[in-house]
Amino acid sequence: MRLLLAALVLLVGTSSGWAQWLDRPTPNIPRTSDGKPNLAAPAPRGADGHLDLTGIWSGPVPETRADPANAQPWVNDLVRQRQREYHKGRPLYNCLPSGPEADKAAAWKRILQTPTAITILNEDLTYRVIHMDGRELEASPAPSWMGYSVGRWEGDTLVVESNGFNEKTWLSRYGQSHTDALRVTERYRRSDVGHLRVEVIFTDPRAYAKPWGYAADLALAVDTEMLESICERTSDEWHGGPVAADTAVSVVPEVLARYVGVYHGMYGENKRTIEVSLSGDQLIAKVTGAAAIDGGEMRSLIPQTETVFDGAGIIYQFIVGDNGVATALDEIHISGPSRFPKQP
Amino acid sequence: MRLFLAALILIGGTISAEAQWLDRKTPGIPRTPDGKPNLTAPAPRAPDGKPDLSGVWEAENVVGRPDPTNLQSWVLDLSRQRQLEYYRERPMYQCRPSGPEAERFGGWKRILQTPAAVAILNDDLTHRFIHTDGRELEANPAPSWMGYSVGRWDGDTFVVESAGFNDKTWVSRYGVSHTESLRMTERYRRRDFGHMRLEATFTDPGAFAKPWGFTVEMTLAADTEMLESVCEKSSEAWAGSLTDAADQGVSVPRDVLARYVGVYSGIYGGGPRSWEVTLSDGQLMAKITGPPIEGGLGAVGLDEAALRPLVPQSQTVFEGLGLGYQFIVNEKGVATDLVVIHISGPYKFSRQR
Repeated sequence: MRLLLAALVLLVGTSSGWAQWLDRPTPNIPRTSDGKPNLAAPAPRGADGHLDLTGIWSGPVPETRADPANAQPWVNDLVRQRQREYHKGRPLYNCLPSGPEADKAAAWKRILQTPTAITILNEDLTYRVIHMDGRELEASPAPSWMGYSVGRWEGDTLVVESNGFNEKTWLSRYGQSHTDALRVTERYRRSDVGHLRVEVIFTDPRAYAKPWGYAADLALAVDTEMLESICERTSDEWHGGPVAADTAVSVVPEVLARYVGVYHGMYGENKRTIEVSLSGDQLIAKVTGAAAIDGGEMRSLIPQTETVFDGAGIIYQFIVGDNGVATALDEIHISGPSRFPKQP
Repeated sequence: MRLFLAALILIGGTISAEAQWLDRKTPGIPRTPDGKPNLTAPAPRAPDGKPDLSGVWEAENVVGRPDPTNLQSWVLDLSRQRQLEYYRERPMYQCRPSGPEAERFGGWKRILQTPAAVAILNDDLTHRFIHTDGRELEANPAPSWMGYSVGRWDGDTFVVESAGFNDKTWVSRYGVSHTESLRMTERYRRRDFGHMRLEATFTDPGAFAKPWGFTVEMTLAADTEMLESVCEKSSEAWAGSLTDAADQGVSVPRDVLARYVGVYSGIYGGGPRSWEVTLSDGQLMAKITGPPIEGGLGAVGLDEAALRPLVPQSQTVFEGLGLGYQFIVNEKGVATDLVVIHISGPYKFSRQR
């Protein structure tokens, strides 16, 4: 909850009353007879015959399904620690470049393609350069935020290999780290004027046993403009520690024991299971299911009252019967509470 | 002193031992028979016949130094106030985009040119996008850090008009503000393969009586790569202002201060420099005289000749807008020399009178 709110506050976009200039028709795109952009027309090609990816693109945030079992223990330890710190250290929240972070892959960006180089201009003003002049990927480029990239065409697919990343960036908003040995392979395929699919693979044996990745589907933004989205306030002032611990109350173990069990329900359109267990005198929630908030990570539940608990930025409330035994668990989000009934 | 130090800390460049990959030959550039880049070969042209500005460019340092009398009084007042705060609010020191700041036009950048657009990629991981698809400059684009730009060709000169800047950026490191009505005109002329000149003009009647600007020479950076230079630590932790220095200040009797009054001369930055120290209302003041040097002198403000207050930190050590001053006294307590303490070392100026 806190995280979402903070993110909203952090990203000071400039989208307001300047609608008029934002509605200008994009020049040089195919249109249907009624003047609307024809997004299903064949993708344009450059003078060299290759597909031209130039344009403004955006899409939904891709789902990154990093399997914790595939990550080295130090990565999982960092992920847990960062969760406890409300992901305060995320580069984006510190006004630092997001580099290869998957969650920024579908944010608004402009691609400008020339025969010898392609640049990807992000709405946060960072950018990437992809060398297309036939050079090899460097063996040991200086570590940088955005990496060193070379591209080549495999038929109509642009294949980009990148390395030379510094270790300050994350691979997802959940805090998955990588080493400076990270290699990123991207495959871009523009299927028609309006659609661009990007398949991304992260390879980093010192952090992940096997390569893993995600796919992002981008749509061409037509008859509009890309606006800047600049981070102006870092997360320095975030509480950053277990807020909950400062304000925690003590709840006796026998009360906590009445909450132990499996709660199941829908979160949005997805099934979600919350398995509550007691470890010593600490209540632990394990969240699993599609679009799980953290890929099945364990969250410590810190009592704020006898029934209300803070679980690393998400509030959990146990609904109890007359005998004090929990019948359901409410997960309280900025978008409202979701109820998960207790399973027999 | 503080300013130089902070700037060094702020800009976390990644310059290290990976020299090898930095020495790769730039493909597709003309070379002399001995294999060296031929920077005086003719400028390349794009398929549409226009000069092609693409490449990695290193621009000489730029100092935006408008005539103070050309500034509206609110702009000059702000500039002076910001000097007292060591310019800590400068967007660059806050890890924010520099936008149209004149100094940002120095340093490294990569240009990519297509018939419909030109992108300018700065080494601080900001970029500008210049539409060249024939559109007009928007009358009222949403205010942004980097502005809205359209370009056209005037013969072989690339002319860029920009508007739609927010008013959070400065147009010079000396804290010179602008309004959201700022218009910037840039004229780029690549006269041969390796050399390009930029002439830039700021027009903003709400801030400046007359348009003013700067010129910068750019050299193609051949057989190397551009490195990122990303601000990672903002100036929030800076001490903050001369007032803070005054708070920690000590009281020095007037007759002691009077013994420091005089003119001190020496060499700084390869040129002669003098410091004229006076006493005004119990406050020691210093005035720099001598030719300006490239990049200015640390915390010197827009008007180099302005008096800067010296705030006593001990009986002989004074703080003067980011530079430390130490008076060397003889056994009678009379100053013989003035040592200006700079990050590059102390500079001794001998008393002339």
